[in-house]
Amino acid sequence: MSGNRDLSESAESAESAKSAKADPHEKQPEDMSPEGESRRKLLKLGIGALGCGLAAVPIVPALGYLVHPLRLGPGEAGAMVPVGKREAFGAVPVRVDLYADRRDAWSRETNVKLGSCWVHVRDGKLQALSTSCPHLGCSVDYDAGEGKFKCPCHRSAFDLASEVKGGPAPRSMDSLEIEEKNGLVAIRFQRFRQGVPGKEPV
Amino acid sequence: MRAGLMRALEWFKARTGLDAAISGALDEPVPGGARFQYVFGSVLTFLFMQQVVLGILLAFYYSPSAADAWASTAYLNDQVRAGWFLRGLHHNGSSAMVVVVVLHLLQVVWAGAYRAPREVNWWTGLAMGGLVLAFALTGYLLPWDQKGYWATQVATGIMGSVPGGDPLKQVIQGGPEYGNLTLTRFFALHVFVLPLVLGGLLAAHIALFRRHGVTPPANLTDAELKKKTQPFWPNQLFLDVLAMAICAAVLIGMTVHTHGAELFAPADPASNFVARPEWYFLFLYQLLKYFEGPLQIVATVLLPGAVAVTLFALPWFDRATSRRASARWPALSVVGVLMAAVTALTALAITEDARNESYQKGRALAEEEASHARTLALEGVPPPGGIAVFDNDPKQKTRKLFKENCSTCHTIEGRGGDGAPNFDDYNSREWLFALVRDPHSKRFFGGTKGHTQMKAVPVADASDEQLHEVLEYVLSLQGPEAGTTDAAMVAKGKALWDSKLECTSCHEVEAGKSDTGPTLAGRGTPVWIARVIRNSAEPDLFGETAEMPKFADKLSPEQIKALADFIYSQRAAKKAAH
Repeated sequence: MSGNRDLSESAESAESAKSAKADPHEKQPEDMSPEGESRRKLLKLGIGALGCGLAAVPIVPALGYLVHPLRLGPGEAGAMVPVGKREAFGAVPVRVDLYADRRDAWSRETNVKLGSCWVHVRDGKLQALSTSCPHLGCSVDYDAGEGKFKCPCHRSAFDLASEVKGGPAPRSMDSLEIEEKNGLVAIRFQRFRQGVPGKEPV
Repeated sequence: MRAGLMRALEWFKARTGLDAAISGALDEPVPGGARFQYVFGSVLTFLFMQQVVLGILLAFYYSPSAADAWASTAYLNDQVRAGWFLRGLHHNGSSAMVVVVVLHLLQVVWAGAYRAPREVNWWTGLAMGGLVLAFALTGYLLPWDQKGYWATQVATGIMGSVPGGDPLKQVIQGGPEYGNLTLTRFFALHVFVLPLVLGGLLAAHIALFRRHGVTPPANLTDAELKKKTQPFWPNQLFLDVLAMAICAAVLIGMTVHTHGAELFAPADPASNFVARPEWYFLFLYQLLKYFEGPLQIVATVLLPGAVAVTLFALPWFDRATSRRASARWPALSVVGVLMAAVTALTALAITEDARNESYQKGRALAEEEASHARTLALEGVPPPGGIAVFDNDPKQKTRKLFKENCSTCHTIEGRGGDGAPNFDDYNSREWLFALVRDPHSKRFFGGTKGHTQMKAVPVADASDEQLHEVLEYVLSLQGPEAGTTDAAMVAKGKALWDSKLECTSCHEVEAGKSDTGPTLAGRGTPVWIARVIRNSAEPDLFGETAEMPKFADKLSPEQIKALADFIYSQRAAKKAAH
């Protein structure tokens, strides 16, 4: 049967492979000689060099590719967003959502929610404070009973003048640019770096 | 320092058995010595690993949803540094894998390596070959561009046309039609399921290969084989790595030459894209042309199935007692005929397309549309994604403006109401001619309530020739916007206007003068159209008979200008189409 012949043939070659494995140097006179040794060294060097080259093919471009977000730079402050009439705001802070157009990687969105802020009048002046906590960015709430802004995450607290009154926050709440024109209030939304004492736009 | 490093390395080796694992992997004797024809398996392993790395990199930017797939692909390809290169390499890598799979298969068949005791190795290899095609099929849908969308439609369509295949099709494409679920499923298959299955098969394939060793040339005796034995490391591995480097160099060359992979316009289910599969599926595509109606199953299932069965059964089909090629001519000719058939069908598909003018035209159009869409995508794609990128086109914006404000009454580009004049081919000589002959047809003022004053000019009052002359004169009143007019006809027309026809009783031809009908001075120019849009009831326009709303307060001057230019361009559009 041909099948048997096949099996015996390959069994034989498997056998020979095994014996070669048991003692690889016995059947390899070439590799024992000094020329063989130096040739092998060259081949190993070649493998190392080519291997590094192959690894570099995806890795080198991948470096620039992966850090692409760094090239996007600090976000520009958006446009002034109208938020309502002047009469709507008083001594008690009111939470206002800010909508504007935005580029988000590949998409261009119109009139989407960017964030929110607390708006109130203090010393006769309108004031807009970002709800984003300067500590780690949780959304700061207003506690009407105590008359304080409180962060629900790490217990940072701020008074109506936005000063820190407890908790880990490194700076006072971030005020946003606010503008009043013809009885209408507009605010410019912006984000700032978290966890640092200074107010730096991101 | 160095001694400390060595000690740390020794410690690590002792704890992990790393060097035993490495030497186990590398210390393999190659009976008969290292040979270039053994490199294909290693090259495929390298290509697979490179595809995995590139695929992971692409996943850093790609988003598998119907809204985002195209936009995110265009973003990573056109806006992220080196994105085009990595995507191009991944795309070309799939082609390279197909090529090397075929070379590997041919080498295995030529060497007789499918024979006992390597049957299972042969089968795992065939299965992996099939998986490479499955990778390709699931991969090129992912950009959700015209090519991926339409070529994959054909593939799933075939699945659905097979008896009992419809449920399978629905499960794979995630519903009765293409959408978000199609992408999430193809994505999951492409990046999780197929790589895991291929990885498992590859491990088995390599383990079996190590068990049975290489299949050395059949004409060498065992003694010769033993004498010529060389170690895998470094002799064979050097050849393997050299072949990988050649392969990588070709891939880089191709990728740089074409500046990455093609990306067509976003998938548009309403378009008539000239769908063609990737080149390695062209033979199947060509085969489909020969089997019509109920015979289609021959090309889609029976023939490919028969080929697969033949290949899987090759170890049994081959009854030769010797592994020498001369003794195995039946098996070799079966595979040879298969390869010849595949090559011939591929060549036929390519030459037929090269000679097919409408295909070439469609292809050129598709490429133009692709580059237009990708330019628009640089501004960001609106949230609906995909074809919504065309909303960035100023012309598209104007079209939308027209649809929102004008199309209830006016028709443009075949769409809209018939309550007011139709703007298709607006102000062409033919349009004006038809208007004067029958102003009260639905195409002109027939749909309005008040514009009843103008009388039709029958042939009895002006022959066709005379009317054409008059209209040439009227056109000339537009000034430079009229384009080239026939001076002799204009002169004859003016004479007819002054003497014969009664147009002057309603229409003025001098700017600023008003009568009961609209002035013909500059009539039809963008400025004139913009005035009508702002307020058609001006005394020198439609005056008291005006029905059209005033848009002066509703639209900005820029919007009105854009609309006027758009309407004016309809005559040019018709001309360009001819």
